[in-house]
Amino acid sequence: MSRKTRTPIAIAFIAPAFLVYTLAVIYPLVSTLWSSFFSWQGIVSGDFVGLANFNRLFGNVYLGTVLAAFWHNVYWFVGIMVIQNVGALLIAYLLFTRRRQLGSFTSGMFQSIFFLPAILSPVLVGALWRLLLAPTGPLDSLLVALHIANGPVPFLGDPTIALPILISVDAWNWLGFPLLVYLAGFNDIPPEIIEAATLDGAGSWRILRSIGLPLIVPALGTITILTFIGAFNQFDTVYIMEGLQGSPNYSTDVLGTFFYRLAFGTMTNAGVTDIGVALAVATLLLIFLSAGTVIGLRLVMRRIVQF
Amino acid sequence: MDRLRSLSTWTVLVAYSLLVLVPLYLMFVSSMKTTQEIYAAPLALPSRLTLDNFVNAWQRAHFSTYFINSAIVTVSSVVLTLLVSLPASYAMSRYRMRWLAVVLVFFLLGLMLPVRLGVVRLFLLMRDLGQLDTLTGLIMIYVGVRIPFAIFVLANFMRTIPREMEEAARIDGANDVQILRYVIAPLVSPAIAIVGIFTAIAVWNDFFFPLIFVFSDENKTIPLGLATFIGQYQSDWGALFAGLTISALPLMFVYLLTSRQIRSGISTGAVR
Repeated sequence: MSRKTRTPIAIAFIAPAFLVYTLAVIYPLVSTLWSSFFSWQGIVSGDFVGLANFNRLFGNVYLGTVLAAFWHNVYWFVGIMVIQNVGALLIAYLLFTRRRQLGSFTSGMFQSIFFLPAILSPVLVGALWRLLLAPTGPLDSLLVALHIANGPVPFLGDPTIALPILISVDAWNWLGFPLLVYLAGFNDIPPEIIEAATLDGAGSWRILRSIGLPLIVPALGTITILTFIGAFNQFDTVYIMEGLQGSPNYSTDVLGTFFYRLAFGTMTNAGVTDIGVALAVATLLLIFLSAGTVIGLRLVMRRIVQF
Repeated sequence: MDRLRSLSTWTVLVAYSLLVLVPLYLMFVSSMKTTQEIYAAPLALPSRLTLDNFVNAWQRAHFSTYFINSAIVTVSSVVLTLLVSLPASYAMSRYRMRWLAVVLVFFLLGLMLPVRLGVVRLFLLMRDLGQLDTLTGLIMIYVGVRIPFAIFVLANFMRTIPREMEEAARIDGANDVQILRYVIAPLVSPAIAIVGIFTAIAVWNDFFFPLIFVFSDENKTIPLGLATFIGQYQSDWGALFAGLTISALPLMFVYLLTSRQIRSGISTGAVR
């Protein structure tokens, strides 16, 4: 069939997906960028106001909150990189180097266990840990029984430890995912390379550093970018464990909860919203995430080692 | 030396397995205990087998409604996502028109876009379409959000199928719809399974969109119902753990059946 007669079929095949995707994903994002330059009265949009929404975002009212929330997101990214991704890398490398001793059945069983939390929703995981960590809850009674603590420990009510605990819960939730991705990366390395290095007397640390890591750069890059996007979109874990205000005393507040309060209000402030500033937050975050993703992808491309 | 190394390997693997499994064990056993029992001996098995907590969560806390809603939304979203993504992937991986490459990039952009940031405008759009507080509105959003992933996996997979297969069918007089339905779709069934499983898990677990688009109790899905529930039943720990268990069981069951596909989906790069 000629190219011309195929065009209508192609259009008919693509149109439904194109329509739904454009409506539900592209249109909302593009119009968010556009409408952040307009004034908003409740959910009614008014005149073009230039950068007024952005000026208000960085004015006295919001600046402290938005900066604190931003740093909590940065902290979240770093925390997940260290706890989740380094942990996943070490366990994946352990499964890889010991694959002969473990056998594929045992190794597969461990992989299935490690991935198990990743199929559960952050809401479920957050709710579970909120109950387990409650003062006088199971973990607390365990610590008391072991004489490590002598009373209720406010795991989630102490502003100095609440954020690290939330990040750890998030890491517990998702560690299996980078683990499987890294393990697949290691398994793709041609065995000859590793055998040659072993014959040359390289230990497993040396092989990880000089062969393993350089050859799984695509996997490391993908996970880092996904962690970056995930950390700056964080919402569910904070909402379910500490509420919309990022309790205690905003110590776990992130841009996601800040944005939600501006856009949809909270129970306690009688639903007062500031849509203009919410759209300004979304716009800046969208630009920040896109720029970060593009830069990340380019860095990864440059470091990919071919063999 | 070797024995020492294998001992430390096992220690690490078993220790992390316990860190994963003990909290889930606590969830299961606590769902069958009274609140007093949970406080008194968290790790112990329940003193007698009772499903009271489950009855409480299922009936009084409306978990039966949430469960049905989640099932409707998940099944519809998976079916519709596949139904619109299959022909689109077929066209983009098979036809040789240049503009198709641009359209493919446009779709794949959605893999990295932070969809949630458009939620204010999406809210206004859904209001104008009369789809606030409806299950159909949720389904529409999920299909839109999941299309990029479906097309990414399906189009990649379709590219590996030799052209001879469909050319033979074409000579036999099959049209494009028939070729897609009877030649291509059966060949890409592993990819369809991977898209189905990952879409189902993502939709079943989603909390953000119901939180914003659903207001009434009768339209809530499980994660939103769970969040409401944990606020209201602060003191009834047994019922709370039962609610968590009800939410987790369907996924655990699916995972038991499909963990091999999930692992291979991730390791063959479908999800990367």
